[in-house]
Amino acid sequence: MRLHHWRQTRLGLLFVSPWIIGFLAFFLYPFFATFYYSFTRFTGIGNPVFTGLANYSELIHDATFRTALFNTFYYTIIEVPLSTVAALGLALLLNMKVRGQAIYRTLFYIPSIVPVVASSLIFVWIFQPSFGLVNSLLSDLHVEGPTWFFSITWSKPTFILLGLWGLGQPMVIYLAALQGVPKEMYEVAALEGAGPLQRLRKVTVPMISPVILFNVILSLVLSIQYFTQAQVIESPPGSPGSSTMFYVTYYYQQAFTDLHLGYASAMAFMLFILVLIVTVLLLRSSSRWVYYENDQR
Amino acid sequence: MIEKIHSRQRDGTAPRPGPRPGGRSQRRGRKAAATSAALLASSAALVLAACGGPAASSSGSSSSSGVADITWQTMWSGNTLTLLSQMVNAFNSTHPDIHVTESNIPSATGDAKLLSEIAAGDPPDVFTEWNPVLGEYAADGTIQSMAPYLTGKYAGLEKWEYPIALQGGQYKGALYAIPMSMNSWALYYNKSIMKAAGISSPPATLAQLYADQAKEWKISGNKLDQIGFYPIYNQGFEYFGSFFGAVNCFGSSGQYDFAGCKGAQSEASFLAQYDKYPYADVAALQTAYGAVAGGDDDAFVAGKEGFNMDGPWEGAQNIPVTNPSMVGNFGVEAFPGIEPGPSTFGQGNYNIIPKGAAHPSAAFTFIAWLAGYDNTSFTSQIDPKGGWMPPSQAIVSAPAYQAWLKANPWLNVFVNQMSSPYSVTPTLTKTESEFETAEATATEDIGEKTKTPQQALAYIDSQSNSGAGG
Repeated sequence: MRLHHWRQTRLGLLFVSPWIIGFLAFFLYPFFATFYYSFTRFTGIGNPVFTGLANYSELIHDATFRTALFNTFYYTIIEVPLSTVAALGLALLLNMKVRGQAIYRTLFYIPSIVPVVASSLIFVWIFQPSFGLVNSLLSDLHVEGPTWFFSITWSKPTFILLGLWGLGQPMVIYLAALQGVPKEMYEVAALEGAGPLQRLRKVTVPMISPVILFNVILSLVLSIQYFTQAQVIESPPGSPGSSTMFYVTYYYQQAFTDLHLGYASAMAFMLFILVLIVTVLLLRSSSRWVYYENDQR
Repeated sequence: MIEKIHSRQRDGTAPRPGPRPGGRSQRRGRKAAATSAALLASSAALVLAACGGPAASSSGSSSSSGVADITWQTMWSGNTLTLLSQMVNAFNSTHPDIHVTESNIPSATGDAKLLSEIAAGDPPDVFTEWNPVLGEYAADGTIQSMAPYLTGKYAGLEKWEYPIALQGGQYKGALYAIPMSMNSWALYYNKSIMKAAGISSPPATLAQLYADQAKEWKISGNKLDQIGFYPIYNQGFEYFGSFFGAVNCFGSSGQYDFAGCKGAQSEASFLAQYDKYPYADVAALQTAYGAVAGGDDDAFVAGKEGFNMDGPWEGAQNIPVTNPSMVGNFGVEAFPGIEPGPSTFGQGNYNIIPKGAAHPSAAFTFIAWLAGYDNTSFTSQIDPKGGWMPPSQAIVSAPAYQAWLKANPWLNVFVNQMSSPYSVTPTLTKTESEFETAEATATEDIGEKTKTPQQALAYIDSQSNSGAGG
């Protein structure tokens, strides 16, 4: 029996070996290599020179690093709740039984399949201060629009607005979760006299809270790693006035423009620690607000 | 990998003993082991292929007929790509012993890809690089010196190049790169905008330029319809350095010293004059135009800018292809700097041979051919199509190039600057890419008024000198 069990285990392991090899080669090895390089001076070619904690010490005193941290924190703290509420709200609307429901769902999902670079360039035109769509509409309301992506004050809020363009993905996940909430619960709540808002607060949100947790974690990780849109739109990257110097923008500059791969490795490892801490805190807090149907508490 | 297996077989290594014949369960075990081995082998092959390991490499191979297959990697986009194909086809048809395959990757990831390829032992044979990082690459051994190939028919290649073209490929006196085309910068002006502003002739002094362009701005609140001249956005210190004697500002210890350099101070004051115009609006307008036509469009091409510093490709390629209505509506003159003669700074599209290239000798042959050495006739025909400045006077003197100059006399401004004694090449240093990043940020800071000119210069020095290559 034990021999049979071992054979089955071995066969199972061998069947998942493509994934295991991929994990070892493309995740675990780079992970430890990055950790090692973070203690070195390394330009990508030649031998790395061990410098101990010098890169980490330099990071602490690096003003641009602090700016990048602040910008990323600013973006994340606004983008995550905003996109969560917006995606959930959209999913609630699209879950209503109205005529043309499938068409609306498709229309709201389509933006999320547009490539990021293409949508970024489209938004450069939409937010163009002189002849863009947004400022033209504001002008009709006798409001002078700002310079959006190119204003030190407005650049981050504009990237947050751009982030809402890709809500289709979480929206679909929320939509699926909403359809899994038993109708009987709404019927009982209605019989008990609960209005629409109470049903949302007392039935819908608790029932889909595990999905909210999943989407929030995903959104958090993606926000902390925000990069492509800012890199495509701003020239020089990080402008205007360092207002869009996000963590990964600075990391990319250090690694691939200035070839400071040791320093960039230290940044990458710090980013890992940051994401880890935030995720652990979020998971710990989830015991207070996430409800699982089979929860015995 | 394949080589290793073959050699082991030739060595006559004894095969491992196979499983002894046995019962049903053993047979099933063998079958499972065979299935597993196949899975393992296929997944290992996948990983190898993904890593671009030697077995999967296409570069560096030689066919049985003795043809060296070399790869040429570039970072161009837009209209230039069709020209590259023409060049490769022409080379392949005239060099039966070498076959070139061209690949193109976006400039944002080009250097990262090159480094990965070198680290993986599978670099391209030829890589076209903008020269700011050449000093760093040469210092680190990322690229190969071309000194071993400068013999025989190539002995005169260095003298054949314009001095500024040669210096742009030298690190500490040794040749590491040869340009296939050079940059040369001059002042474009829009004739109809000038006329509408009541300006009769292009400016001859910096003061005149400032006064003329001031008449051309059309701006109301955040609505910018037309730019006069704005040297700050995407240009700045490096582009205008040669006109102010501010290209190579080094202190006695060999470190960057822009803060103590009179030429750089003059240049910073010149740039700061323009900080009264809104950086954000100009950036928004230029980015919007730059988002189309693969980056070949800009406000000047679109007819929305009075004066613009740019290279010959703007008039020779970008305008005719992107906005033909501008052809005939622009002129070019040397930028009116404080130096007594026309000048430009020596940068260009340099070809390098990465460390570990499989066919460095064939790569050098191709690089010399691309530059136009021993290939003047073809290069003098292709350079006009790309709007490129040749790296040698010999190409300019060729009949095809002369015919192009005759048809487009405005190009003479760019050509004359190439051999001007006031033209300068930035000295390649180990931290030049840090300098490039710093000068771009410092220029923008002047435009945004977040730094004074002197603070901007000090920032360039601190960033450029602290780049330790960590």
